[in-house]
Amino acid sequence: MVRSRALSPAARRVLEALVQAGAAGLHGYDLCSQARVQSGTLYPLLVRLEAQGFVTAHWEPSEIAGRPPRHVYRLTAAGRRLAQDNPVLRSVEALPVGRLA
Amino acid sequence: MSRSVRLIFGLVRALLPHEKREWSDAAAEEARMIGRPGQALAFAFGCLAWAAGEAIRSGLQKPHRQGGEDMGLAHQLRGPRGTGLVCAFAATGLGLFYMTSGGAPTGYLVMNAGAFAFGLVALALLGLADDRKHLPAGPINLLLGLTLLAVAIWGASAGGVTRWAALGPLIIQPSLMIVPLMAVLFARSRDPLSAAGVAVAALALALQPDRGVAGALAAGLVILVMVRPSLGATAAAAFAVVGFGAALAQPDPSPAMPFVDQILYSSFAIHPLAGLAVLAGSALLVAPALARQRLDTDERLGRLVFGGVWAGLIVAAAVGNYPTPLVGYGGSAIVGYLLSLIAFPRRAPSEVELPGRNASEATEDGGPVLCAATR
Repeated sequence: MVRSRALSPAARRVLEALVQAGAAGLHGYDLCSQARVQSGTLYPLLVRLEAQGFVTAHWEPSEIAGRPPRHVYRLTAAGRRLAQDNPVLRSVEALPVGRLA
Repeated sequence: MSRSVRLIFGLVRALLPHEKREWSDAAAEEARMIGRPGQALAFAFGCLAWAAGEAIRSGLQKPHRQGGEDMGLAHQLRGPRGTGLVCAFAATGLGLFYMTSGGAPTGYLVMNAGAFAFGLVALALLGLADDRKHLPAGPINLLLGLTLLAVAIWGASAGGVTRWAALGPLIIQPSLMIVPLMAVLFARSRDPLSAAGVAVAALALALQPDRGVAGALAAGLVILVMVRPSLGATAAAAFAVVGFGAALAQPDPSPAMPFVDQILYSSFAIHPLAGLAVLAGSALLVAPALARQRLDTDERLGRLVFGGVWAGLIVAAAVGNYPTPLVGYGGSAIVGYLLSLIAFPRRAPSEVELPGRNASEATEDGGPVLCAATR
């Protein structure tokens, strides 16, 4: 089991976005937007997660007729467990004031 | 997909090792789907940063043979010239970061990136010519020197200084493109024709006047004379020093241009990180000259002259209103840096290939050898 502090905030957001996408998966740019990460951060992360078996990457036909296929990223079962063990850390400012009392 | 985005992804694909190129293709398809050009460009630059990191990581790993399997450009980047390419790429990238931090127009970033791509192609062609022994230093240096003289006489002027040339919508500074290449070619072949070319270049730089490049040329050639004195090298260095003195004696009222001049200091006013990026990028320019890679004698001379010229340009940028190479806005220095990497071989010679040089052998121009070849 991966310790909750092992993954970067960006990795956690990517996993969370993929959890929310479910079986439909996400394309790369959509993942950048939803996880709020830059492409230079996303792709090395995806490469690593895919190599470790947490994410699958498949070419699938584009929704727009006549356009080339696009990569779709989905979590594997191991990836969903990883996401569960590594939730997105919310900032202290985002917590209700009462929590700090 | 815009041309610049397509160009960037071409670089991304070239930089990544074979096994990751499918990811590059996937990212390129994503960029194609992005409707807003600015966002597509930012997406592409992010991928370029990723690819550059992969190339550097790959270059730092110990080489392992895989039956001669082609491992892409990342494998090629392990040699001396590859080190220079990585440094150029990193310096240009740091410059893009600095300009972005300072709010430079997008066109500045595109221009520098485009110049880098152009310089890569030009270096590749130069390398091909060199491989086929079609790069004679003498005639080329004479031609380049005369080109600089033509710029001094007929080029574009500003504030009494004539050192630019207009190529359609582009304004280039030929001295930054040409002089570093001339210097390293001369280090390789110190024949009379090559020396004449350098002398003509020194005259041109004095006429323009261009103190920065004149000083850099003098610095590189003085180093050459100190390491390997000869009649030809001494004469060329003398011309370069006199030319530098003549340039210094003339007024040069060029004001500092934003993102071009004086950025070694002004970048810190934007943000400390921007300042550090400019400093780091500038330091990277001379790193190839300091790298501990085995080279033969002439290649070592070329490396030293390369280091002297680029150190001279950085010093000029620090003390006067002269372009800060690669990290500032300006494609001419980027192209010039890449071309001057011809001084470095693609691969360091193996123990079998390294020629056995005797310290008592005379050089081709009759001068003594002070620096004996070592293995």
